[in-house]
Amino acid sequence: MAAVLQGAVSDSAPVESATRQIDIEGHQVSKTFGGAVVALEGATFSVPKGSFVSLVGPSGCGKSTLLRLVAGLLPLTSGTLTVHGKPVTEPRRDVGMMFQKATLLDWRTAVENVLLPTEISGNVTSADRKKAIELLHMVGLKDFEFAFPTQLSGGMQQRVALARLLQTGADILLLDEPFGALDEFTRERLNLELLRIVGDLGATTLFVTHNIGEAIFLADYVMVMTPRPGRLAKVVEVPFGRPREISLMQTVEFNRLVADVREILGAH
Amino acid sequence: MSLIVNDAVLGDGPGRRRTAARRIANHMAILFGLLAVWELASRMGLIEEILFPRPTAIFESVIRIYFTQGNLWFHLWVTTSQVLAGFALGTFLGILLAIVAGMSETLRRYMKPYVVIIEATPRIAIGPLIIAWFGFGFEAKLVIVTLVCFFPPFVNTLTGMLTTDEDRIQMMRSLGATKGQMLRKVMLPGMVPIVMAGIKLAMASALGGALVAEFISANDGMGVLMNRYTFSLNMPSAFASLLTLTALGFVLYRTMEIIEGKLAFWVNEAELQKVSKRRAAAWSKT
Repeated sequence: MAAVLQGAVSDSAPVESATRQIDIEGHQVSKTFGGAVVALEGATFSVPKGSFVSLVGPSGCGKSTLLRLVAGLLPLTSGTLTVHGKPVTEPRRDVGMMFQKATLLDWRTAVENVLLPTEISGNVTSADRKKAIELLHMVGLKDFEFAFPTQLSGGMQQRVALARLLQTGADILLLDEPFGALDEFTRERLNLELLRIVGDLGATTLFVTHNIGEAIFLADYVMVMTPRPGRLAKVVEVPFGRPREISLMQTVEFNRLVADVREILGAH
Repeated sequence: MSLIVNDAVLGDGPGRRRTAARRIANHMAILFGLLAVWELASRMGLIEEILFPRPTAIFESVIRIYFTQGNLWFHLWVTTSQVLAGFALGTFLGILLAIVAGMSETLRRYMKPYVVIIEATPRIAIGPLIIAWFGFGFEAKLVIVTLVCFFPPFVNTLTGMLTTDEDRIQMMRSLGATKGQMLRKVMLPGMVPIVMAGIKLAMASALGGALVAEFISANDGMGVLMNRYTFSLNMPSAFASLLTLTALGFVLYRTMEIIEGKLAFWVNEAELQKVSKRRAAAWSKT
């Protein structure tokens, strides 16, 4: 996958592709809050269709802000930002977002929560209902279709949130530290399942995390971001093939890449 | 609440049922013991019988005002209908106004001083004025009960509107939800527990409001009946009326608790399992 992409590890080069369609493109994207706080300054990047891109950096580096800008939840202050070639002005159907909190509705069963996006965009058909059940099975929640959120563990709640995200049918997935509140073991397992699912769908994925190892393990490209003001410091290409095993994280090559990213972050 | 749930779950075992039976027997023994001491003390002249009637006298009064004379029912009906009408009206207006206020910050800003002033004023103190305006009949009492029932649902609903989980709002926005969908699917259902708490509070004060209105001045109702009995030193009947009000208060409050449990089912683990089964059954039918 990575072979068709060029110019990854260089100082200014964004994620580029000569042969593949670009899904998300940002040019000098900046966001200032209240006229004073610069959350993100001059980020230029492009995300090829079907790629998995991690955004990594410490708190205040603007990674969540960037994600919310792409989602259309925040207006940008300056620069241009396009999704599927069109400027982002508001939330759109082909872009779906998942948050650190599961944000499920406690009075709805798991499957009713998954159906929420369908209800918002129109009438629920029997095909939609069938799809919702299938998605719950796909994220490993067979037999929990009619459980309420408070009856589920934190990991299971995030699985429901993932199924709800997939129910939108969006081909661009924005994930804001989706498993950040879970324990290490659960997070690792969910990350592997996430890779399998988005791989099968061929979805373009933007994944925010502050864990360098996780960022590299999941991604084709890592956008390394630094704080005060939030800047996109560098885009690092991840050369490992897929599918990936957890054992990859023990290899010398992997840890050398982790050290590289750490150095970029440390230099700022 | 969780204690009650545990009881209900564990109560299924035969051993638990036996202890429950023994506990009820103990309660009854203590109650009748106290009544017997009271009765004896009264008969021995240790308690002033005129002001503090003995249990058997109160029991005779209950029989009289409920059955042989049967004059209680009319007054009980007047008070109960008053309470229910005022409660319904006050709660409805409170919730409605809070939703409107919750949606407009401008409205909220200009409403606030008046809300603070009216809230600081003891509602009961407005009673004589209202009776001067509306007379001794149904209307004055309705207005007083409505006023008493307005604020708890209003304040709680507004709090619910203003404390909707920001993450859920972001989630709904990312799905492209309209303002109306946000209100219907997230804000209103999410507010049910806190609004129900306010409604329960309103119900608890509704009976008090109606009685005070009747004490101040009215033609009929339980408050009027209590006044009449105490002024004529018919203490057994006053006590019998008081017991009736205790029972009425209990029934009204308990009803609200049951409704709360059904509407805000997701905060109650036992209820949650039942609803989960029901929804699963309904799903497979469609």
